Amino acid sequence: MLALDAIAYSNRWRPRHPGEKALLALGLLGAAVALPPWPGALLTGSTAMVLLLGPAGVTLRQVWQAVRVPLGFVLTGSVPLLVAVGGSPWLAWEPSGIPRAAELAGRAMAALLCLLLFATTTPLADSLPRLTRIGVPPAITEVASLIYRMVFLLLDSARAVREAQAGRLGFRTWATTYRAVAGQGGAIFVRAFDRARRLEEGLALRGYSGSLTVQVEYQAVSRRFIAATVGLLAAIVTVTLMARVVMV
Amino acid sequence: MHIAEGYLPPLHAVAWGAASAPFVVWGARAVVKQIRDNPESKLLLGAAGAFCFVLSALKLPSVTGSCSHPTGTGFGAVLFRPPVMALLGTIVLFFQATLLAHGGLTTLGANVFSMAIAGPWVAYGVFVLTRQLGGGLIPAVFLAAALGDLATYCVTSVQLALAFPDPVSGVVGAVAKFGSIFAITQIPLAISEGLLTVLIVRLLSRVSPAELTRLGLIKSANPVVKESVA
Repeated sequence: MLALDAIAYSNRWRPRHPGEKALLALGLLGAAVALPPWPGALLTGSTAMVLLLGPAGVTLRQVWQAVRVPLGFVLTGSVPLLVAVGGSPWLAWEPSGIPRAAELAGRAMAALLCLLLFATTTPLADSLPRLTRIGVPPAITEVASLIYRMVFLLLDSARAVREAQAGRLGFRTWATTYRAVAGQGGAIFVRAFDRARRLEEGLALRGYSGSLTVQVEYQAVSRRFIAATVGLLAAIVTVTLMARVVMV
Repeated sequence: MHIAEGYLPPLHAVAWGAASAPFVVWGARAVVKQIRDNPESKLLLGAAGAFCFVLSALKLPSVTGSCSHPTGTGFGAVLFRPPVMALLGTIVLFFQATLLAHGGLTTLGANVFSMAIAGPWVAYGVFVLTRQLGGGLIPAVFLAAALGDLATYCVTSVQLALAFPDPVSGVVGAVAKFGSIFAITQIPLAISEGLLTVLIVRLLSRVSPAELTRLGLIKSANPVVKESVA
């Protein structure tokens, strides 16, 4: 199982309605990106972090493991802002780039934490079937749900193949590594289409008519949670804009 | 190469979303029509999407010492055609954002444009052109996968440069800056992906020729071996 998905099933906000969590996390995400980074990113990022570590019950270690890779992109992508090219000398240090790079890194970090707030509290199995209510065609949500279900089976297959290859010294040299990885790719291709064909036969025997009906667990919407979310978002927007006015 | 969550300014995020939308809607309409005509194809599309996701999660050795991942867009476009890849790629990128925190929701439009539209179209165009010019399946697959990957990387560099132009030389200078900093990993990765895709196609032509024939990649059983020998 993927780490974020496992947390999404085991966190304290798991029973909450996906719409509530989407409003909170995606509202914070929108604010993190749209508001001026200072102090908007600080407010949205710290709020998301507090909600993750507090009410949602996600650990700091889990958050760090999730942000490591994208953080690498953000830091690497901030470096070009610190230099200017095309002048004399051709490549020169750009002092005005430091605040831009800091703002960029701050905004991206805050947005990343908001994304994690959604990803670690809401399993896709809860949110995908409900996408039809916001206008996504049922055929598309069903394909997405099928992909979601098959991904874990194929990842398990790829892992099993990889372990077997490692046991046979399949990753000894670059040449054997490439052959081994190609073997994994071939195996998941064959298993993916084999599974689809078996699923098709199984559904046909059960009178498949074109619609994959799945039971969506009922989850009540909490008006208090929605009101608190709207209040929190309004407070963040107000404080950020007032702080900008004071700074100017 | 995924643009991380929150990396793009809001106007750029919206603009890339708007630029990607027609392609994704086109792909979605094609898929909905295909499913209406043939309900069983839904399961094969699910398999294709899951394959693309897991293919992009395979670990490749990297020249920088760590490991990197293939994009899978070139191979996906050759197998499933670019319009379908626009939709499948969007779903896969959405999953990568929410299951792995790779990419993001505000940068989804930009990532879709580079990885699910530009990359697949370049890969498919190169594949068809190479075949029409008389090239064999193996060179066509290698060029499609490698150039599809490079196209993704180039479009991403342009997206970043448009968002953060250089104070002296503008967008052109910024393309050079972003392009060179990511070239260290992306150019070797493109070559790696080309080689890996060739190995996968050779393997599949032996173990699953019927599926490749059905997808239109090969015309008869085991042509790769024949072409390689020839």
